[in-house]
Amino acid sequence: MPNVKLVNVRKTFAKGRVVAVDQVNLHVHDKEYFALVGPSGCGKTTTLRMIAGLVEPDEGQIFIGDRLVSELPPEDRDIGYVFQQYALFPNMDVWDNVTYGPTVKAWEDRKRERIGREMLQMVRLYERADAVPRELSGGMMQRVALSRALAAGAELLLLDEPLGALDAKIRTELRYEIRKLVKDLDLTAIHVTHDQSEAMAVSDRIAVMKKGRILQVGTPHELYMKPQGIFVANFIGESNFLEGRIVRKEGKAGVIVRLRGDFDVKSRSNGRLKAGAKVVLAIRPEAFELVQGKEKLENSLVGVIEKVRFEGTDIRYEIRLVNDEKVIVVRPSLGGEWLEEDNNVTIGFSPEKSHMFPYPEKGLRAELELE
Amino acid sequence: MRLSGRKLIATIFVLAVLASLLILVLLPTFYLISFTITRWNEVYTDVFANPLIGDENWHQILRYLSFSLRLSLIVVVIDLAFGIPLAYFLARKQFWGKSLLEDVVTLSLVIPTSGFGVATLLTWTGVSGLGALIGRGVIEASYVVPIVNVPFLMLFVHVALTFPYIVRTLQGKLEDLEPVFEQASRTLGASALTTFRKIIFPLSIPALFSGGVLAFARSLGETGATMIVASIHTTAPMAIVRWVSEFKLATASFLGLLLIIAATVAILIVDILLQRGGRIKAPRFSLMPKIRGKLLKVEKAASGKPRHIKDIVGLGAIMLIVILPIFVVVASVGAYWSVDPDTGRPQGSVLYQLFGPPNYFATLMDSTLISVITAAISTYIAACVAIPSVYFIKRYRVGRIFRYILRIPLIVPSSALGLSVLLLWGPSGFNLVSPGIWLIILTHVVFSVPVVMEPTIAAYEGSGIPTYEGVARTLGASPYDAIETVSLPMLKRGILAGVILSFTRSLGETGATFLVMGSDVTVPPLVVNMAESLATSAALFSSAYLIALSLVLLLLFRMVTRR
Repeated sequence: MPNVKLVNVRKTFAKGRVVAVDQVNLHVHDKEYFALVGPSGCGKTTTLRMIAGLVEPDEGQIFIGDRLVSELPPEDRDIGYVFQQYALFPNMDVWDNVTYGPTVKAWEDRKRERIGREMLQMVRLYERADAVPRELSGGMMQRVALSRALAAGAELLLLDEPLGALDAKIRTELRYEIRKLVKDLDLTAIHVTHDQSEAMAVSDRIAVMKKGRILQVGTPHELYMKPQGIFVANFIGESNFLEGRIVRKEGKAGVIVRLRGDFDVKSRSNGRLKAGAKVVLAIRPEAFELVQGKEKLENSLVGVIEKVRFEGTDIRYEIRLVNDEKVIVVRPSLGGEWLEEDNNVTIGFSPEKSHMFPYPEKGLRAELELE
Repeated sequence: MRLSGRKLIATIFVLAVLASLLILVLLPTFYLISFTITRWNEVYTDVFANPLIGDENWHQILRYLSFSLRLSLIVVVIDLAFGIPLAYFLARKQFWGKSLLEDVVTLSLVIPTSGFGVATLLTWTGVSGLGALIGRGVIEASYVVPIVNVPFLMLFVHVALTFPYIVRTLQGKLEDLEPVFEQASRTLGASALTTFRKIIFPLSIPALFSGGVLAFARSLGETGATMIVASIHTTAPMAIVRWVSEFKLATASFLGLLLIIAATVAILIVDILLQRGGRIKAPRFSLMPKIRGKLLKVEKAASGKPRHIKDIVGLGAIMLIVILPIFVVVASVGAYWSVDPDTGRPQGSVLYQLFGPPNYFATLMDSTLISVITAAISTYIAACVAIPSVYFIKRYRVGRIFRYILRIPLIVPSSALGLSVLLLWGPSGFNLVSPGIWLIILTHVVFSVPVVMEPTIAAYEGSGIPTYEGVARTLGASPYDAIETVSLPMLKRGILAGVILSFTRSLGETGATFLVMGSDVTVPPLVVNMAESLATSAALFSSAYLIALSLVLLLLFRMVTRR
């Protein structure tokens, strides 16, 4: 039953000067597909490597399936690990790579042959068993690496940016394939990626990390709909941020926020913030309504379209509001009319689709910084 | 017009490079072959059908050659045994004193060998070194290793002087090797030792081969230290030196030819093996399942705590055969300073032999001057030839062949090389240069060119120079400007490293210099002469002096190569 538990895990590098992972607590359930996301340098890979035993934590405990593994070498942890650079042994062919785990674990020959065949058939590369790694394409190599990790019999699969080195198209195809394998085989998987859309697409739950700490853990839906902070609101999906001050309460669950240029808009209250508090409203580009000319919408703001970009599925508008703030609005390209640059427009949003956060101590820009 | 002008310059450049390579390096290297062939009758008579002794010379050649080959092979095996763990240790671990340890490894490469020979002899034999502890020599020069019949001291000296070739090539390879392969193997359930056996070792075979062939060649040609610790034994290069001094040129050149062939065959075999790229596929021999399981278990157990033992064994061996002799020689200079501690006679003291009637100090200073002048001039000439050669080799397809051929002077035993130069330019050949300082320079240039070239080529290959030169050209630089402003500065470290190595090698060279020096004696042969004429204290002092010189050069080398 490989659930994974991290208790107060901490790791520093360079004699304690660089804190890579800071007091992380995490519980990954059995048979769960879990993703660790965050910008580069946030500590997600270090966390994964500590679970694998490739890096030793300074403090804290790591459990795999209720077994304390913090002191065990990687070979005794019963894990499968997939590396971004595939790490197929160049001195062996595909077959020897895949059966490496069974070989070094001294499994019976017959069992080894069977597992090797099954695993290679599973990733549709059995007929390439005699190939050497450099004869394969990137996607094939990663499929071999995946089957190699699975052939060792582990029920916990650790994936370290497994798709990072692949072309965009293959990346999206392979991520669904990996998820299907994990689910078909009833495995627990922890998938590290800096690509939030990849994490959203494959995982049951996601932890967002920044600067060695976990900011929020939740299902893709929760993270998107109820981000608990400005950083998460911006990192999972995309958000516009409007600065303002709370003027007064409005109804049961609402507040009126005065934006720059004395525009008053209504937002959902988060309960704790009082009148006069400086706040930031996060609104997703796809949450806005957009109409040409001056119209009366809920929370309407007027402005001019500065740029239009056609991006296939979406059209992306950059709008300069009359209070000089810039807002990104995204509309599906197949629904409704297109607006052009220099058009005067009105945008609006419903209070339920805005998220209100206290203004960060170090400023908005510092809070959003990726590195 | 402009284009054809450029082409003309390019042609002149290529021809000049080719001509200098041919005259200064290739002709001297291969002249011995043509000499032996053209004078075959003479050689045949001397070696196989001497009217006085019949084929006794041939039997001697066989004896010396088999002794040398046996010695070199054993040396390589021992080098591997110590070198592999040490290289792994240096490549993978960070620890206090690591750079010091790397310096010790490099020191073995730059130390003048005759000085080191004196140090080793002193340390193990007689009562002056380690023997002081037990009242007699620990290992006398005549003691041989049972079964293989090779003297201990010769083995010590050769291992000390050749293990760096294994360590440095393997360490470089391991540092380039991505740690993910090891990590992948560990996550798949293999212990550290199993990972070494199944992943790291197979991947480092090419590096082991190329390091091994260099170590083999160096051991096969080593003369300076070998002559000092030889006692009654004779190696093939020593035989050449002796026969030349007895004017048995035909016999000497035949043995030289055999040595050149042995070294070339060694490098050829390795190259053919490596040519097949990473395709060296060990035959898939499968052990019995039971044994396989046992092996894995043993490896697993040994991967635990006691793994430090192998590190300590390697380090201890280096201490014993490299560092200890250096300390002993320095300490002995102090002990022998004013009086011979064994006999109590002042005639045996350092002061008496240097400044008294023997006046070795003046001789030593003369030799130093000759050594420095020859090293400086030959290095300068070598750099002038080597740097354009690097461009030639990297830009023209035929260059690859030249690169290949130019490795041969590096591995040919230097006494064979010296003999070749002597026969080519000396009185019995073209009679252009008599033995003396200029013939030494011509000899040293032969191996100095490849010595300067190797690190320069390495720098060239690691730097992406063609791209940067291309960038410079798109920004408006002429080809010459691009070389001067972009690629030469990028090669600077490589060139400097090569120049220092070449200078050191020239300064410490013994085997070839013996044959071509005439009355212009450089320091390393002087040390051998002192040791042979039993001027122990003078030899001691000169050895310490040589070692000190090489330490200074090592420091320079370190400053240049560290980033």
